[in-house]
Amino acid sequence: MKFNPDDIMMLAGTIWESVLSLPIETDEPGSVGNHPRSMAACIQISGAWNGAILLDCPVEFARLAASVMFSTEPANAALPDLQDAIAELVNMIGGNIKGLLPETCFLSLPAVVEGGDYSARVPGSTPVGRVAFVCQGHRVSIVILEKTREETAAA
Amino acid sequence: MDHSYIMPFIKSVQNVFATMLQMQVKVGKPFIKTAGSPAYDISGIIGMAGDVEGAVVLNMPTATAEGVVARLTGAPMACTHADFPDAVGELVNMVSGGAKAQFPGKTVNISCPSVVIGHDHHVLGCKDVSSLIIPCTTDCGEFCLEISIRQTDGAAARKPAALATA
Repeated sequence: MKFNPDDIMMLAGTIWESVLSLPIETDEPGSVGNHPRSMAACIQISGAWNGAILLDCPVEFARLAASVMFSTEPANAALPDLQDAIAELVNMIGGNIKGLLPETCFLSLPAVVEGGDYSARVPGSTPVGRVAFVCQGHRVSIVILEKTREETAAA
Repeated sequence: MDHSYIMPFIKSVQNVFATMLQMQVKVGKPFIKTAGSPAYDISGIIGMAGDVEGAVVLNMPTATAEGVVARLTGAPMACTHADFPDAVGELVNMVSGGAKAQFPGKTVNISCPSVVIGHDHHVLGCKDVSSLIIPCTTDCGEFCLEISIRQTDGAAARKPAALATA
């Protein structure tokens, strides 16, 4: 199952506008760039369709999102606020993507990673949709990954 | 977090390591994750959804992870190898799958694993769910199994007897 980048951008634009009241501008897909620290939020979808959605952004964007969501100054947003903010964003993206999938699918709780020197991979999956955009000067990427092979689960 | 969810993970990690790696796992006293809790370089993360939702993280220092992966694959493999994340993902998948099988009466889906590699990262767990760290020690070194799961509303309403009494 492939996802049209235009559809993902429209979905992201709607969420960013409704939750953050911030516009986004399309950018070329790729990494979030050379930021000292970044955050990644991953939500897993399982059931009739299996895969994951990975949201990658600089910490500065997560701080901006948290400040808007929690009505605080960016400098006052603590790490749990940043975590909540991007977890909420990836959860909303996941919820909307889930609506496009065959029934029945389940969304996991989002897992959030913060760090300065890390790479995040979803083994056994392949990207089926990928967009990058700029929001207030911060580069954000969304990747939709579909599970391509069954893992061995020990019983 | 419901304490009845802890034991399946302990049993599963011991079972997986014993059967797949021929390695014993000594389990320490579980504790709630705080800001100062240990964070290692390699994290295998898997989501659980359905009657139980959340995430399970297998968090290992590089040396431990490379030792464990070498046992799993039968050959040395550096953490920079392209197949290394697959092996870590497989490991956390087996541990989660084994635990899932011990949730009687529950419909639980485990998703594809994600793997984070880097010396300066923190997995922040799930919102509104405390993360429990199970410290483990093996011949390859120490690692942590981090569980951050909760029962969903639908499952709570059904309350299977096996878990309600656990």
